[in-house]
Amino acid sequence: MSIQFKTITELREMLDSKIISSEELVNETFRLNEQFKELNCFVTLNESKSREKAIGIDQQDEPLSILSGIPLAQKDLFCTEGLRTTCSSKILSNFIPPYTATAVSKLEDDGSITIGKTNMDEFAMGSSNETSFFGPVHNPWKKGYVPGGSSGGSAAAVAAGIVPAATGTDTGGSIRQPAAHCGITGMKPTYGRVSRWGMVAFASSLDQAGPIARSAEDCAILLNSMSGYDSKDTTCLDLPNQDLLETINNPIKGLKIGVVKEFDMSDLDLGVQQAFEQSKKLYESLGAEFVEVSLPNISASVPAYYSIAPAECSSNLSRFDGIKFGHRTEDPGNLEELYVNSRSEGFGDEVKRRILIGTYALSAGFYDAYYKKAQQVRRLIKNDFVSAFESIDVIMTPTTPSTAFAFGSKGAQNPVELYLEDLFTISSNLAGLPAISIPHGQLNNLPIGLQLIGNFLEEGRILNAAHIFQKNSDFHLTHPNMEDFK
Amino acid sequence: MDQETVRTICHLARLKIDDEKSEKIESDLDTIIALIGGLSSFDTSNIEPLYSPLEQTAVKHEDVVNSDNCKDKYLANSPLSNDDYFLVPRVVE
Repeated sequence: MSIQFKTITELREMLDSKIISSEELVNETFRLNEQFKELNCFVTLNESKSREKAIGIDQQDEPLSILSGIPLAQKDLFCTEGLRTTCSSKILSNFIPPYTATAVSKLEDDGSITIGKTNMDEFAMGSSNETSFFGPVHNPWKKGYVPGGSSGGSAAAVAAGIVPAATGTDTGGSIRQPAAHCGITGMKPTYGRVSRWGMVAFASSLDQAGPIARSAEDCAILLNSMSGYDSKDTTCLDLPNQDLLETINNPIKGLKIGVVKEFDMSDLDLGVQQAFEQSKKLYESLGAEFVEVSLPNISASVPAYYSIAPAECSSNLSRFDGIKFGHRTEDPGNLEELYVNSRSEGFGDEVKRRILIGTYALSAGFYDAYYKKAQQVRRLIKNDFVSAFESIDVIMTPTTPSTAFAFGSKGAQNPVELYLEDLFTISSNLAGLPAISIPHGQLNNLPIGLQLIGNFLEEGRILNAAHIFQKNSDFHLTHPNMEDFK
Repeated sequence: MDQETVRTICHLARLKIDDEKSEKIESDLDTIIALIGGLSSFDTSNIEPLYSPLEQTAVKHEDVVNSDNCKDKYLANSPLSNDDYFLVPRVVE
């Protein structure tokens, strides 16, 4: 029986009823990856250790948890002890971490099997996976089209049915946008819900790890495992453990869904507009009510983000100096040359662009006008959300303005064109709110994503709304035919 | 964003831009700065900056030793080290 396109819940049943062993499951996962290697989903595979762990799990009497023996892929931004972690950058192409990120440790402690590290935009900077040092990832729905980014390898591996789920990280939409472009479900939790310890930092006040899977239910399973207090991350929230599956089936009658007045839908692809209207009708038929809400400063999200994120990135990436780890230039004449040449050889163009913008925004004379101003505007945006959530439960928007696009077709001449891909996703990172993307239609055989944004720490509510949508529709059950890759 | 400004920020960031790419980088930076410049139209008088969505100061830990000496593990990732130190080109002649 094929395991391709199976959910975690379905694989659990197959394992429990002995239809398949964990070892067979892992072997089949690597076979599928080999079959579809042209997708370029993985940077590094973890074959021998995966098989070793699977054999050990098969010998256990009882599964440790629902994730026991389930193969998962980890974005190559999470440090994994003894397993190369590159951030899809030349500068880290030989880096073997001495420890494992907390989010990955928690998943592994629950019995899941890390089968490899997925391709991504270099240091998570990009929305198309085209900035990877290891080459772009193809969208499983159409060869030569982007899977979105930055968690493009994770999203493509799940969409192609190679793994049932994967981890991603989301700084401005890097889980939700690729999930939308690949027709799967992806969630960015509340800032502080999941430990960032062991995640290579891009923009520390925005980065958050989260799940990418075939359904909201599977996202809940992953998030249950990944989240929780970690003293090693001082921004990780100390909250009581919460089982997100407990509330996932609650009826949504009376759920108040906000639609943002300031988002002009007429600017979007017609198919994206139509899918949005259809989904409104479906929610209404399930008893939800729609309310127009105003986020008056929402148009400042993209400019604020492109000041704050590069500023934090320029600071975080200063650690890559060619001395303690990572790429080092050959035969530097002096220490200064060692720094400059190692960094200039090791970083790609987009990363350099963002470091330079951030350095500029933080430099004397410009700090107040660009960086501080952006953080003030960020508070205005957060205040808008606080006001909106006084009268509604969730906010619904498209995840992206359009569907996946062809390699090289966006951002080559003007980088801002690609930055606008994140128009609908960035604001929840600035405000620290949880948000999920679920598939809700197609345009020219390419998936369209729907975003639900929740109030602070209300992951349960958006997972519930997403799950009920999926119980009453079949968009999440469709998958690419993979004809382009056979 | 003139050439001199780009040279200054390249120096601050310890980056070097290839000559054939410098014109494109300057134009890209100009475009992005223009995008960020749009923030000036938002009234932020008396608004405190929001540096983190949590608005909490970092939690402090007790100052205790809580892990083994990992020197060898960390030196192993260095491109150039001896038994005790990361090695760099001579700094003092």
